[in-house]
Amino acid sequence: MKWFLDLTTRNKLFAGFGLMIVFLVTVIATAYTGIAAIQASQKSLYQKDFANAQDLMFLRSEQNGVRVALLNMMLLARQSDRDIWQQDIRQRSQLIAETTQRLLERNRHDARLSGRLEALGTVQAAFAQTRDGQLIPLIHANRTDEARALAAGIQEERYRRMRAIAQELGDAAVERARGAVAESERRTAQTVRLFIGVGIVAMALGLTMVLFLNRIIAAPLRAIADSAGRVAAGDLTADIPVDDRRDEVGLLVTAFRRMLENLRRTTHEIHEGVNVLSSSSSEILATTTQVASGAAETATAVSETTATVEEVKQTAQLASQKARYVSDSAQKASQVSQSGRRSVDEAIQGMNRIQEQMESIAGSIVGLSEQSQAIGEIIATVNDLAEQSNLLAVNAAIEAAKAGEQGKGFAVVAQEVKSLAEQSRQATGQVRAILGDIQKATSAAVLATEQGNRAVEAGVRQTGETGEAIRLLAESINEAAQAATQIAASSQQQMVGMDQVAQAMENIRLASVQNVAGTRQAEVAAQGLHELGVRLKQLTAQYTI
Amino acid sequence: MKTGEKASPGKQGPPVDWHAVRQRLEKARGAIEHAWTPSSAETLRVLMARAQALGRVPDPAETPGEHLDVVEFVLAHERYAVETRHVREVAPLENLTPLPCTPAFVLGIVNLRGEILSVIDIKKFFELPEQGLTDLNRIIVLQSEGMLFGILADAIAGVRRIPAAAIQPSLPTLTGIREAYLLGVTPGRLVILDAERLLTDESMIVQEQVAG
Repeated sequence: MKWFLDLTTRNKLFAGFGLMIVFLVTVIATAYTGIAAIQASQKSLYQKDFANAQDLMFLRSEQNGVRVALLNMMLLARQSDRDIWQQDIRQRSQLIAETTQRLLERNRHDARLSGRLEALGTVQAAFAQTRDGQLIPLIHANRTDEARALAAGIQEERYRRMRAIAQELGDAAVERARGAVAESERRTAQTVRLFIGVGIVAMALGLTMVLFLNRIIAAPLRAIADSAGRVAAGDLTADIPVDDRRDEVGLLVTAFRRMLENLRRTTHEIHEGVNVLSSSSSEILATTTQVASGAAETATAVSETTATVEEVKQTAQLASQKARYVSDSAQKASQVSQSGRRSVDEAIQGMNRIQEQMESIAGSIVGLSEQSQAIGEIIATVNDLAEQSNLLAVNAAIEAAKAGEQGKGFAVVAQEVKSLAEQSRQATGQVRAILGDIQKATSAAVLATEQGNRAVEAGVRQTGETGEAIRLLAESINEAAQAATQIAASSQQQMVGMDQVAQAMENIRLASVQNVAGTRQAEVAAQGLHELGVRLKQLTAQYTI
Repeated sequence: MKTGEKASPGKQGPPVDWHAVRQRLEKARGAIEHAWTPSSAETLRVLMARAQALGRVPDPAETPGEHLDVVEFVLAHERYAVETRHVREVAPLENLTPLPCTPAFVLGIVNLRGEILSVIDIKKFFELPEQGLTDLNRIIVLQSEGMLFGILADAIAGVRRIPAAAIQPSLPTLTGIREAYLLGVTPGRLVILDAERLLTDESMIVQEQVAG
């Protein structure tokens, strides 16, 4: 059965219809055979039996004719009339002979028939001999009675025999023809039965073929059609069973499965794509809205800018006036800087004098420091003396102690000396400390004068730099005056330029208005796109994957 | 002047008051000139101080009992004393000549008014720890009948009279060679050395023979 399923539908159809054709050919052949048999039967009926019967009837008719002619001859008395009838007899005799000969010729194979025909022929020959040899001369001789006797006697008997044989043969021929017709009818009935049988078998086979082909071709197609209907209704979950048939139906099932899988995958991708499209269109819509508001803001800003440009124009006018004023001021500043330079020169001379003074102050302070150093040496000597006085006082006290009671007053004096020496030592310590302070102060003073000297030098240098700076300033002011003049000219050009800028800003404003309108349209378009995305999403949602 | 105006803001705010400076200088010169003739206020202050000193009730003249006359000196930030009867004199340390082949405590010899004295560093003699450099510019000349040498001191405080009752025996913590030369300690942490022991000590006599 599998091999049949694997056949292509064409081959299946070829097989089914071929079977039917075979049956048809069989029927045709059968019909042809039957019809041919009937035809042959009818042909033999017509050519043999019917001809025999006709010839025999003709033969009898002619014999009747001959007899009538003879009788007429006997009745007629005139010779000419007799000759006519004799002529007629002669013709008829000839026809009889030919017919008899034909019959013999046709029925040569039929022994019984040819035997009977031989007998007929013999009787005929005897009849003809008697007629021509005896009867006719008697008539011509007007021996009518004798002729009549002869005719009524032996000739009558012969005639009856001939008629009987012919009658017999004719009946036989009719009988045979009837048999042939019956045979033909039987054969026809047989053929009809054969037709009916073959037809029933062919119909049964055809019905079986139809049912079978319906089952192996139409049913799977109907299942696929159902699946296709479900797919058309949006249900992509239909599962097509695997069929490894290799015919067109199998190919169709496989192709339909692949188509369904592809459709499912494609729909899935479309679904995702539509989601992306939907979200993207939402974003585009949001962006377009932002762009629209931005364009509106831009338009506002451009309007403000136009106003600002107008203000700038006025400012440029003001700047032009100011530039002229600056030019005049720069001339005055140049004169002022000249007097400033002179002042700086005087300042430098003053600084130099201050420097000399500072140097003499430093010399005085150094001398003071040296003198305080001499005081320090004197104080060291005094301190040494105090130390020695102290020792002397101690020695005196020792001596006084050795002297005992007598040295007591001396011990008091020694104590006083020691005390004085101690005071002298303390005083020299104080003087030394004060001298240290004086030294520090003079050092600080020298340092201060040195710093002052440096400051004065720096002042001289700075004053020189100031003079240079004032000179450069004067040059700069001159350049500034020239520049201010150029600025005045430039600001005139700038005003012209600002007019052009104002014109351009007006154009920009118009363009921004158009831009706003265009953005509005883009927003509408984005809205449409967004709605399309939503609609596509709904459409794809109809497909269950 | 512009320059004057320019200079002043750079320096300290108020300008120098030259008049006040001149007055201060005048005053200082006057003070130096009249330094040897004290002013009446100064004289009065000195006289007042003397009157107060004289008016003070003298110390309970002489507490009865035994006394020790001592010469007090400072050595290595500690106060020491020796009895006056063993002291001949005190003198500044001058022209010290180091003497070879002597113990470490003998610093050297000096010439005191034509008399040759050996000088002893009692810190080294007592094996006291060295406490940094000190002045060491005084000599106390100790003398007995057969012995004469000087000991070094940083400074001489003076001659004092100490009641014998105030002298406490040597501290129990002091041991060794120091204890042997101590007479006692006063409540004022004055360490009284036994000069007699020092003068009679055998180890002071140096008999050093140097080979060849």
